[in-house]
Amino acid sequence: MKAKLGVSALILLFLAGVWLIAAPFAVGYQPRGAVYADATVNDLWVGGALAGLSFVALVIYAADALRELAGRGKHVADS
Amino acid sequence: MIRKFVGAVAAALALMAGLWLMIAPFALGTQPENADWTDPTTSEFFTGLGVAVVGLIGVAAFAAAIHEELVVRGLVAVRQKPAEPEPEPVAAAPQASSAELASLLAPLVEALREDLNTAGRGGGEHRQNGKTALVGVEDNR
Repeated sequence: MKAKLGVSALILLFLAGVWLIAAPFAVGYQPRGAVYADATVNDLWVGGALAGLSFVALVIYAADALRELAGRGKHVADS
Repeated sequence: MIRKFVGAVAAALALMAGLWLMIAPFALGTQPENADWTDPTTSEFFTGLGVAVVGLIGVAAFAAAIHEELVVRGLVAVRQKPAEPEPEPVAAAPQASSAELASLLAPLVEALREDLNTAGRGGGEHRQNGKTALVGVEDNR
């Protein structure tokens, strides 16, 4: 139950990262065709890192859970 | 176990990223001093606040999950609160009945009576142990 809450937090963090990447263009403080402003560069780097980090963590979580499931299935098949 | 640890580390890094987002407009100088917050500042600050809060919740949740698993595996002993000792019933003070009191005081009364009788037999002496009677001393003055 607690781990599920943590996974939900990771999903929200991934979405926040995606939002940060899109924010300069969605909010409109980055003009089209212009050189990226400092705020835009910061948002892109932080958002990208946040989304990437959350995604990797979610993938590792899912992979480990699957590995555990596979191990349990093997025990059941052996017995 | 590993996956929970990875989740906790990722959430902790996200917490720090959120804190950075909150201060970034002021640290990078994109927010002019003594002016209303610009759109980038508002967006970054509130996004950072949300990221920090969610990151904190994630860290707490994964840490609690790790602790729970360690307890299940028997690697961590749960501290039991020491049970409060029940107050011992105070023994009721023995109520001496009047009969017991009388039997206790009987030797004392007997001794007093004997002392009075002895003093009466001694004639006019008001003080038996002294060399001279105090009454006589007072009369001689």
